[in-house]
Amino acid sequence: MKKQTIFALAIAAVIVVASADPAMAYVLLSPRRTWASTPVNVPVYSAGNNSIADGSGGVNAVSNAIEVWGVVNSSVTNTAAVRGQAPATITLNSNGHICNGSCLAATLTGYYTGNTITDADVYTNTKYKYYSSGEADGCSGEYDIEGIMVHEVGHVIGIGHSNVSGATMYPSVAACNAGNRSLEADDIAAKNDLY
Amino acid sequence: MHRRSLILVSLLLALAVPLSASQFIDMPFDQVAREATYVVRGQVVDTWSAWDASHEVIYTYATVRVSRYFGEIAGPDTLMVREVGGTVDGYTQEAIGFPALRRSENVVLFLSQWEDGADYRIHAYNQGKYLVRERGGVEVLVSDPVKQGEARAERHDRFDMATDGAALGIEEFALMVNDARAGISTSGPRTRE
Repeated sequence: MKKQTIFALAIAAVIVVASADPAMAYVLLSPRRTWASTPVNVPVYSAGNNSIADGSGGVNAVSNAIEVWGVVNSSVTNTAAVRGQAPATITLNSNGHICNGSCLAATLTGYYTGNTITDADVYTNTKYKYYSSGEADGCSGEYDIEGIMVHEVGHVIGIGHSNVSGATMYPSVAACNAGNRSLEADDIAAKNDLY
Repeated sequence: MHRRSLILVSLLLALAVPLSASQFIDMPFDQVAREATYVVRGQVVDTWSAWDASHEVIYTYATVRVSRYFGEIAGPDTLMVREVGGTVDGYTQEAIGFPALRRSENVVLFLSQWEDGADYRIHAYNQGKYLVRERGGVEVLVSDPVKQGEARAERHDRFDMATDGAALGIEEFALMVNDARAGISTSGPRTRE
């Protein structure tokens, strides 16, 4: 075989190997941590996000969406999040003074040395505009609140970022992309690893 | 394409995945450089963590000894940088995907002042922190591969292509900061979500 052919094949092999997504590439938070029992109670604070025109400011849509994880039980609560104390609470109308600027949403999670998660609260940057499946006017440059919160609740239950493009736990999301509302095989594998 | 722009675009593309932390919107380099109060090269000489006054959030405070200010503004020799997350009395609180400062790290930071204090925070989250590595006697900047909630990497100061990936020379970086803060675009407007 000619040297050039061997070289070309070697380069092609390197490119294929480098570009291939691993079949299962989920990453768990480090150190590995879980809640003591399931279902994990993750209520959504009843004050909705002003940019979401679905009647509840995204509260009901998010409460329904995050149960896709199968180990999460959600509801709507009138009690605001108390950081450092359970339950894990999603807040759609406040950045919690931690998520501003280029931050869309943030999860603040807490655990003791035994690696049992005891609290995890999620905040939303109200500087940006969001939409939900309950809106009639579609999407224009907005971010899908259900997909964002399904991703954040992945962190709440102990999952980190995946290398698999298309997975809900993949670390980037585009405006008007609602793909993160549903879980991919990689996300489910991560959840099944923990619970 | 201008050489500096080419380097910047290459660096940003190479760093795209690590920089795109969860649920953050990547900002153009120019914007990050313009908005930051200070852009500094320094070393983290001390860190400690404490609850806030309402006992809701643990912050980690880092004393950064500044060896160089980039851009037109200079400041004190030492800056106090505060970031969400830390450990107090065996309880750890983390803001998943946020940057963290660790003792003895050599860093370049974009800093802006907290609205509730006189101390500073890393501006634009992970886009505002670089680690300083040594490559052939020259300092280069790389993205910090370890965010909050991720496994700690072994500390090293020498550039390692396998673990560090793309790097940017610190003098090239200094020119880019100067240009950005002077209103000269270092790259076209771009936003990656």
